[in-house]
Amino acid sequence: MNDGILPRGPLIWAGRLAILAFIFAAWEIVSREKLIDPILIGAPSGVAQFLWEGIFVNGSLIDDLGWTMLGTLLAFVLGSAAGILFGMLFVISPTLEALFNPILTAMNAMPRIALAPLFLIWFGLGLGSKVAVGFSLTFFIVLSSTVAGGRGVNPDHITLARALGASGLQVFRKFVLPSAVPVIFNGLRLGLIYALLGVVGGEIIASEHGLGQALQLLAASFKTNGVFGIIILLALVSVCIMTAMNWLENRLLRWR
Amino acid sequence: MTADGAIVLDRVSVRFAAGVVAVSEVSLRIRAGEFVSIVGPSGCGKTTLLNFAAGLLPRDVGSGTFTVGGRPPVEGNRDIAYMLARDALAPWRTALENAELGAEIRGVPLAERRRRTIDLLDKVGLKGFEHAYPKQLSHGMRQRVALARTFALESPILLMDEPFGALDAQTKLQLEDVLLSLWQRDGRTVLFITHDLSEAVTMSDRVIVMSARPGRIVAEVSINLPRPRSVRALQKDPAFHELYAHVWSKLEEGLGA
Repeated sequence: MNDGILPRGPLIWAGRLAILAFIFAAWEIVSREKLIDPILIGAPSGVAQFLWEGIFVNGSLIDDLGWTMLGTLLAFVLGSAAGILFGMLFVISPTLEALFNPILTAMNAMPRIALAPLFLIWFGLGLGSKVAVGFSLTFFIVLSSTVAGGRGVNPDHITLARALGASGLQVFRKFVLPSAVPVIFNGLRLGLIYALLGVVGGEIIASEHGLGQALQLLAASFKTNGVFGIIILLALVSVCIMTAMNWLENRLLRWR
Repeated sequence: MTADGAIVLDRVSVRFAAGVVAVSEVSLRIRAGEFVSIVGPSGCGKTTLLNFAAGLLPRDVGSGTFTVGGRPPVEGNRDIAYMLARDALAPWRTALENAELGAEIRGVPLAERRRRTIDLLDKVGLKGFEHAYPKQLSHGMRQRVALARTFALESPILLMDEPFGALDAQTKLQLEDVLLSLWQRDGRTVLFITHDLSEAVTMSDRVIVMSARPGRIVAEVSINLPRPRSVRALQKDPAFHELYAHVWSKLEEGLGA
């Protein structure tokens, strides 16, 4: 969003690359000269080698990435579908919201990662428990943004709709839903990031596959280069997800 | 547009739950095809009367006899097209889609409402902007779309709540002209709320002056200026200024009372 104000162009990109190059160079030197123990910080050359081998040579990272992405996708799709559905029910029926609100607020206030051991008992070491953790985060985010979006309908639109004699369904389809979409989209964007967080968190705790599990193994054996490699990979994945969501949002909400 | 376009109020009062009397004993008879404006200080119940006519008030706050197009006020009355002070455009719809929204909700078939809407957008001076979104339109243009949306309904009665109140003077004069020409074309009944006396005198057959709350009618002034009227020419017409001064004095009496 700030991109509209920030200066752009090849010079900025060159500058950004220069900053990145400087950081990696300094990191490499500090590590080689043992100014800081390489066990703690690894080295960019080692990280690059780890990523190269994991992605292009033995493919183990691709495999783990695939599991993490599959879990994230499932958690996101199920969590947002349920969040939108319940959110819309709450918008339509304030009574329903009044009934469920305290329970949901309490559940949402709970640190969700604490549920991971329970989900492991219920769904096992595989994908199911990871999806459950991601779901438990995404659901509440999308739910609350859907309710906020549904409530945010312009009162003038309601007056107009009433004067026109619009049915309840027409008011919902022609005013409530479209005006909620931008707010819901913000929830979806955040929900996707949290689905990834939940899945990776679940994998770190106990798993058979996934980047979180690989991260945990590498850290346990002090393979710092590998730990940094996976963190960088996860950061790149998140950036790709955000970019894709922004692109989609701009396509769908051209009217904004 | 064969339905009866008359509006009749016989000793109509509106009293809200908190004991606030918004409107007191208003009697008024508006003939089909007549253009009537109501002026008065803010809070005098002008909008309340309009909402009453459109069936938007809660039941049992009003008393007296109120008939719109021959029947009591009812929400969603198809004989009525309501235009609000703010444009109430849907930002996710283009000008064309916004202008046909009313007809769409009232179930006018797509081909027919589209034909009518395109014609109206042309009439209000928005040819070429059919596919623009509201954010791309100026304030005045947005209100033109709202005007098109109102006229795209075949309702014989138009209720307008200060539709040009938020516009700058120039744009206002332009839109008054557009409204007059649309009204002249198909002769619907217009009940027009405004706090702008000049606007009321310019456009109306009759101006109703209301007092401060509780709103009562303190005067009715017939505006016998010839039609068709040119909004711009009227600004320099002595007869116009005489009527304006007359309405103004009545309004002041109402404020003093």
